[in-house]
Amino acid sequence: MRPRSLRTRPPWGHALSLGRPGAHRLRREGFVLGVRTVAPLLIGTGIWGLVTGVAMVKVGLSTAQALGMTLLVFSGTVQLASLPLIAADAPLWVVMLTAAVVNLRFLIFSAGLHPFFRRYSVGRRWLLSYFMVDMSFAMFLSRFADAPHDERGTTEQVWFFLGMSAGSWLVWQTMSIVGIVLAAEVPAQWGLEFTAILALIAMTLPLIAGRPALIGAVTAGVIAVIAAGLPLKLGLLVAVVAGIAAAMSTEILLERHAGKTGGTT
Amino acid sequence: MNNFEIWLVIIGLTLVTILMRSSFLMLGDYFPLPERVQHGLRYAPVCALIALVTPELFLAQGSFDVSITNPKLIAGVAAAVITLTTRSMIAAMAVGMLIFTALRFLLPASL
Repeated sequence: MRPRSLRTRPPWGHALSLGRPGAHRLRREGFVLGVRTVAPLLIGTGIWGLVTGVAMVKVGLSTAQALGMTLLVFSGTVQLASLPLIAADAPLWVVMLTAAVVNLRFLIFSAGLHPFFRRYSVGRRWLLSYFMVDMSFAMFLSRFADAPHDERGTTEQVWFFLGMSAGSWLVWQTMSIVGIVLAAEVPAQWGLEFTAILALIAMTLPLIAGRPALIGAVTAGVIAVIAAGLPLKLGLLVAVVAGIAAAMSTEILLERHAGKTGGTT
Repeated sequence: MNNFEIWLVIIGLTLVTILMRSSFLMLGDYFPLPERVQHGLRYAPVCALIALVTPELFLAQGSFDVSITNPKLIAGVAAAVITLTTRSMIAAMAVGMLIFTALRFLLPASL
């Protein structure tokens, strides 16, 4: 499913402007598409943000600290992983190490996005980094992974990413602040955080296209359950690496098989 | 932790997180990845997302639980079926949440 937005330059680009063809429209089109793509997922984001906001206050952070944490760190996983350590008065280096390990998946995300964002200035790359979250990475790469090398990092793609980021950021921060303010009123046993998992299911399954992706997904899913007991959320990383390895092996096997039979699968 | 220490933790978390997020965006040109690895990264999104979901569904209080009394598993499977048949995210979430809530009330022992 190659989206039409992949085109570097729309046909009306030249007709509408004299200088850089349709740059403004490309930006707006990419941004709007990003917002639309992320919109259905924002229910999960909002509830997850609310839960995180409540959790920060329940652990004993002041309102200012909780606001500072959500605005500066902007990562639910890191925040939720560090809260028990803060509550337990763990040494600073333990909290940092935990955050680094929980964040290891960002190395993969960062490497995946590098071909698309490499041509941007250092300042802009910092900004794009701040907005990097699981959902925007997944939606971005599953849409553009097949773009040829010279069509990577187009204005539209970057603004698509910014559109998803703006939506996620706004909803996450708003709901986190609601959580921080209303922490005392929200009971812990609503089970609302499960909506985030349901949103992930609904978002992930349509992305599984082709046999390598299916094998990779099944592998990652199984390993994640088996390795869930590992400390520091390392199970997630092990599962991702195993899933990628399984998907790539499947790809190689299929290629070999196709080569042997002379088929064109 | 006192006020100062908590702020120190928050600043530290901010730095660690932004450094990890920006790692390859900043240094990727100096540490080029092999084509195979670069290609394999296209599978990272699906693997990461699935790996976030399955422990939530299959583990109850840390132990493997595949049974009718595991509300998250039943609700998750229902949401998956709705997703694959209707492609409607809202429907999947609504039905999943309904089943999850209903089962939690019907099976108080499982909590």
